[in-house]
Amino acid sequence: MKTRRILFCACAILVLIAIACAMLVIGRGHTMYFDNKDLEYDGQTYAASHRINVYVNDERVARLSEGDRGLATFTGQSFSFDLVVTRVDDGEEENFSYTLKVPYAEDGIIVNLPGLIEDLPEDAWMSEFVPVPSVEEEEDEEIVIDEFDMAMEDDMGA
Amino acid sequence: MNTKKSSAPKRALTFLSNSAVPLMFIIIIAICIPISGFSPTFLLNEVMTRLSRNAFLILSLLIPIMAGMGLNFGMTLGAMAAEIALIFVTDWQIWGIPGIVLAMILSIPLSVILGILCGKILNAAQGREMITSYIISFFMNGVYQLIVLYMMGSLIPILHGNIELPRGYGVRSSVDLTNIRKTLDNLLAINIAGVRIPVATLLIIALMCLIIVWFRRTKLGQDMRAVGQDMEVARDAGINVERTRLISIVISTVLAGIGMVIYLQNMGDMATYSSHSQIGMFCIAALLVGGASVDRASIGNVFLGVILFHTLFILAPSAGAKITGNEVVGEYFRVFVSYGVITVALVMYETRKRRAKARAAQQLRQEQEVEK
Amino acid sequence: MSEYVKESERSISARMRQALKSFGLPRLIIALFLLLMFVLTPFAGSNLVSQITNVINRFSWNAVLVLAMVPMVHSGCGLNFGLPVGIIAGLLGATCAIEWGFTGPVTFWMAILIATPFALLFGAAYGWLLNKIKGGEMMIATYVGFSVVSFFCMMWLVLPFKKGDIAWGFEGTGLRTTFPLDKYYEGVLSNFLRVQIGRLVIPTGALLFFALLAILIWAFLHTKTGTAMTAVGSNPNFARASGINVDRIRLLSVVMSTWLAAVGILVYEQGFGFVQLYNAPFNMALPAVSAILIGGASANKASITNVIIGTILFQGIVTMTPTVMNGLINLDISEVLRMVVSNGMILYALTRKTEVSR
Repeated sequence: MKTRRILFCACAILVLIAIACAMLVIGRGHTMYFDNKDLEYDGQTYAASHRINVYVNDERVARLSEGDRGLATFTGQSFSFDLVVTRVDDGEEENFSYTLKVPYAEDGIIVNLPGLIEDLPEDAWMSEFVPVPSVEEEEDEEIVIDEFDMAMEDDMGA
Repeated sequence: MNTKKSSAPKRALTFLSNSAVPLMFIIIIAICIPISGFSPTFLLNEVMTRLSRNAFLILSLLIPIMAGMGLNFGMTLGAMAAEIALIFVTDWQIWGIPGIVLAMILSIPLSVILGILCGKILNAAQGREMITSYIISFFMNGVYQLIVLYMMGSLIPILHGNIELPRGYGVRSSVDLTNIRKTLDNLLAINIAGVRIPVATLLIIALMCLIIVWFRRTKLGQDMRAVGQDMEVARDAGINVERTRLISIVISTVLAGIGMVIYLQNMGDMATYSSHSQIGMFCIAALLVGGASVDRASIGNVFLGVILFHTLFILAPSAGAKITGNEVVGEYFRVFVSYGVITVALVMYETRKRRAKARAAQQLRQEQEVEK
Repeated sequence: MSEYVKESERSISARMRQALKSFGLPRLIIALFLLLMFVLTPFAGSNLVSQITNVINRFSWNAVLVLAMVPMVHSGCGLNFGLPVGIIAGLLGATCAIEWGFTGPVTFWMAILIATPFALLFGAAYGWLLNKIKGGEMMIATYVGFSVVSFFCMMWLVLPFKKGDIAWGFEGTGLRTTFPLDKYYEGVLSNFLRVQIGRLVIPTGALLFFALLAILIWAFLHTKTGTAMTAVGSNPNFARASGINVDRIRLLSVVMSTWLAAVGILVYEQGFGFVQLYNAPFNMALPAVSAILIGGASANKASITNVIIGTILFQGIVTMTPTVMNGLINLDISEVLRMVVSNGMILYALTRKTEVSR
């Protein structure tokens, strides 16, 4: 009886840990930034397109002119999206579909679309997005510890 | 426990005295609704939001009451565990439903540790559990500040600057939960006549109710009720009283932790140093408004309590503004009502306990006289 | 001979252990910690004498509030978590005295005078309630205190106070959350017979006032009624059997505690220099409770010595830690420390089995 209970508890804990791990993997949120900008690689220049539309699940998330940046958020380590590219003004529309694997540790990933379309190696068009901390925000905020904080508009919604 | 059937007027009287608080609330609300001038749709929407937000937290109070430990003011400890879990989940950037599930799971070990601590202290303070659990919540609040304000970022790694204070350690006074905000509430949500119903949240709450009903029938649940009725009798019957009481507090703390995650995902923003401070008080007040007492509470009390208490909460400021010309009066009024309800419930409980004691003593005396 | 020495040594160590036990481990830790703070003060770059002045000052503000615990503990009503009830009476005295046009030091005495009937009334009601619920005093006292404070949060807004110094002038009604007392009774006690030697300032008047009240309480506890009160606290059944009206004695103790709290808040304000209304009284009960516990009291035993030692230790920690901690490691954990120490002390007292208050 006792061993059965211990076994049951161990199983329950294992299941919880397994779920937690799964959540860590599938719930990791990333932001992908799409750049429609000129790319220099190996001495060659890949020019930005006239217009690129980015679709996720058939929903347009970004409409990029030359030099624009758009973004989309997603969870998990792989991200699928479709591109509709118009290289020059009044040119023909080309369709692309991609599924990219992204590193777990990076919050934001920049993808250079002209490089991606040209099938360059990954390090050419993928890089980490590092946010620049704003300077004026650097002063300390006051933390008020009040045992009887009656500011209930916050807590309970006014 | 009366074997004789009590007469109808007497029964009506008992009913009245047992449900005096809910009836009083219904009357106040009935007066306030026309004064406030809110539309029924608005009110229903608000009540539905608050019901889904708070019900799970309040359910966590039921089990210690069953075990005779009174109102568990220590549920705040579970709320703190949930907040720490949510800080990590936000920092690790786990979004959406997975974030909520992960926060719930992470809160469990913390809640268990805090619950065991709380249970041990309460076992040492038998007979004054409530005041002790109340002081524990203050004490642990200090420990929580120590961890979150001084150790996070210095000893416990925090990755993101938007959570950490600019000075390099400590968590900011508000943590943004945008990425998990209302994801549970929006799951399967439906609209009925302009009222938004968060089906998934309600399903979880319903499931919890079923679990509590089932739990009452298990061996452990029966033991708890026995301990709640009479500790000495339970001990003689071979029940490990201390362990049973401890488990009831641990379960309550864990449930409070999960409830707090549900609560905060609905709020979408976490006041790091004050979200938990009043939560115990409001949950207890809501439960008591629903007609519960210190030694007796049902699932029905939870739902009636949430609806009545929070309807008053919504109405009070605007009704107060209309009556006295000052909205703040209404806000203070609802605080007063919360405290007042708890006071009245505690007084009623203690007087009843004393009367029962006196009656038992009298009975004993009579029996002795008969023996003579 | 050597036998004899050993014997006496043993008895000394046993006696020391006994003394340590009665002193209590948490108390010892707190006392040592405070001592450490004093030793560290010069290294933290602050002046030891001005620190001592600080502690004495804070003592003179708070001692009466802590003294208000004594009567209720003596009669077995437990720790007075309902201190705010008396505080509200004191605040009513202060606001009414100012509203009715008194200025200068006389306001203080008028405030006490006006607060007295309120304190008696509130105390009587509060005591009557506590007699109904013997055994559950502490929890109910806490919530009675909260209810009264939140009720008066409304009252401060609604009551017709008009005087510009204390009421919101432009918004019509309602009292200010905080207002200064410089035109009224700031320092009325502290500045009386004030001694100043270099940086050391001793608020003689305030200390004398506390001493007067403390001696009165001490003397009262040695009168017939006072001993009856102690008897009720230590064994109510025995007291009842020996013909003492238990309920009446308990009621008296609650009224006394409430009145002392009312006076205590006025003494606090004359030192602090401001009156704080609305939510401020919420925060006043727990520090006073833990102060008397730190001083060596328990849920059913408290003496004047406990009050004095406890207030010095508690206020010492509250005033010393921020400066010393800030000076030494540039880390102000004093607020957190205060919460942990004061509530930890209350927990310690509540969990000691031998001291059940019934």
